[in-house]
Amino acid sequence: MLERVAHLLPSELSVVLSRMPVKAQEGLEEIRIRDNRPLEVWTLGVSTFVSSSGSLSDNPDGAYKPSYEVCRKLLERMTNHSVYAMEEELRRGYITVEGGHRIGLAGRTVLEEGRVRGIRDIGGFNVRIARDVTGVSGQTLPQLIDRSNRTIASTLIVGAPRQGKTTYIRDLARAISYGRWQSPQALGWSGRKVGIVDERSEIAACVRGIPTFDVGPRTDVMDACPKAEGMMMMIRSMSPEVLIVDEIGRDEDVEAIREAVRAGVSVVATAHAGDWEEAASRPAIKRLLQEGSFARGVVLRRTITGLTVKVVDLTAAETSVGFAGGTVGSAARAAGHSTASPREPTARAGDAHAP
Amino acid sequence: MLLKLIGASLVLFAGTLIGFLQAARFADRPKQIRQLAGALQRLETEIVFGRTPLPDALAHTAANAGQPVGRLFQAVADELSATDGRSFRECWDTAMKRTWPTTSMRTPELTVTLRLGSILGMSDKDDQLKHLRLAAVQLKAEEDAARDDQAKYEKMSRSLGLLLAALVVILMI
Repeated sequence: MLERVAHLLPSELSVVLSRMPVKAQEGLEEIRIRDNRPLEVWTLGVSTFVSSSGSLSDNPDGAYKPSYEVCRKLLERMTNHSVYAMEEELRRGYITVEGGHRIGLAGRTVLEEGRVRGIRDIGGFNVRIARDVTGVSGQTLPQLIDRSNRTIASTLIVGAPRQGKTTYIRDLARAISYGRWQSPQALGWSGRKVGIVDERSEIAACVRGIPTFDVGPRTDVMDACPKAEGMMMMIRSMSPEVLIVDEIGRDEDVEAIREAVRAGVSVVATAHAGDWEEAASRPAIKRLLQEGSFARGVVLRRTITGLTVKVVDLTAAETSVGFAGGTVGSAARAAGHSTASPREPTARAGDAHAP
Repeated sequence: MLLKLIGASLVLFAGTLIGFLQAARFADRPKQIRQLAGALQRLETEIVFGRTPLPDALAHTAANAGQPVGRLFQAVADELSATDGRSFRECWDTAMKRTWPTTSMRTPELTVTLRLGSILGMSDKDDQLKHLRLAAVQLKAEEDAARDDQAKYEKMSRSLGLLLAALVVILMI
């Protein structure tokens, strides 16, 4: 994983990181660089500090401390020597670079009329390494299809940060776009036109408007576009059959999703939440669920063995039958009916190791 | 005698040439400073309005500026494209210091330019604008000083070359 971002890092830093054990380099997920403070990495699911000889330890004493110069070079590299061209990114607090990697920033903010205009004196960087895993959604896709319309049902995907939501919807977009429905019921269905509204350039990781991840042949991407506006633009201009958006939760998103669903477009959206109840209690999402905008729910959780995917059938819940789910391996939805509180049968995607 | 005459005329010729070259340096300096200020203005537009990434902005500036100022910016753009992990400031410093002797400009202008290297690209556009404007003002001051020098020394160095050569000839005879 290290080699994917090595070109972004100043040589001093990449030398230190390349001294880490090979296994730790492979499992690298985050590199946290703080000005004159110990270098921290997230690898193999745990946080550790790195010493200048590359050894890993829980103890921050003796860890390598990147100097001010190193941080400055890092900032230069990731902005292509042009901080002024990244104002929008600095206002949001992160930069997405080629390959879909996201670099979170922390420092002293610059305010204008009480609103954050940017970050100055950046003292903390979090390099999140993007990875593209094909097939994570494959086993759950059959449970998400809408048989009458021969497409995917509107789906809300829920998970805490770093559980693999983005990887999951990217794979979903690809599968729908290629028409890999993975289901005997969907034999002969062709792919669908997919529109991705990629506000944070993470799903498709566009560079100059061209996706760097494979998002499928029938996919259009509106890059770095505010979700609500982007969804409307897509519906007006690109006639998508499936709209894919990341991290909904604001009021304007609700309105746009409503419009899209009314226009007959299936919407696949993700939301930050620890579990389904937590998501359903967020006001914006609550409204959408009450209106029945989503037909399916998916809860993602990463465990040591892999990615756990729970599918919630919301249409069934409406007809007071309860929730249905099933093992991801079998396409059929196992019966899990209950009139009372919804149950969410757990399924394990045994080989789908996704971030 | 003939040999002496040829020698004397050679000395006179060389002296005059040196004088004229010196004078040309005095005459070129304010011109080139103005050119540099113009190029920086172009860079400012690229940065503030175009939001062009710095390597491209430098290349555009180099292409549009007259010589020898265009060479300065081209040298920086070339250094940057080497991607050997050096910071922009190091690239800017090396390129400027290396290319500077090919121009008629002197140390005060170089100082102003080098100072700019530590800030270019490292802040938001308002801040970039402020620093570029500051550099423009400082360059204007240098240009005025250079113009004064030109008025004072241009003619003088021209005649001085000839006169010194004449002195040498007289002493030799």
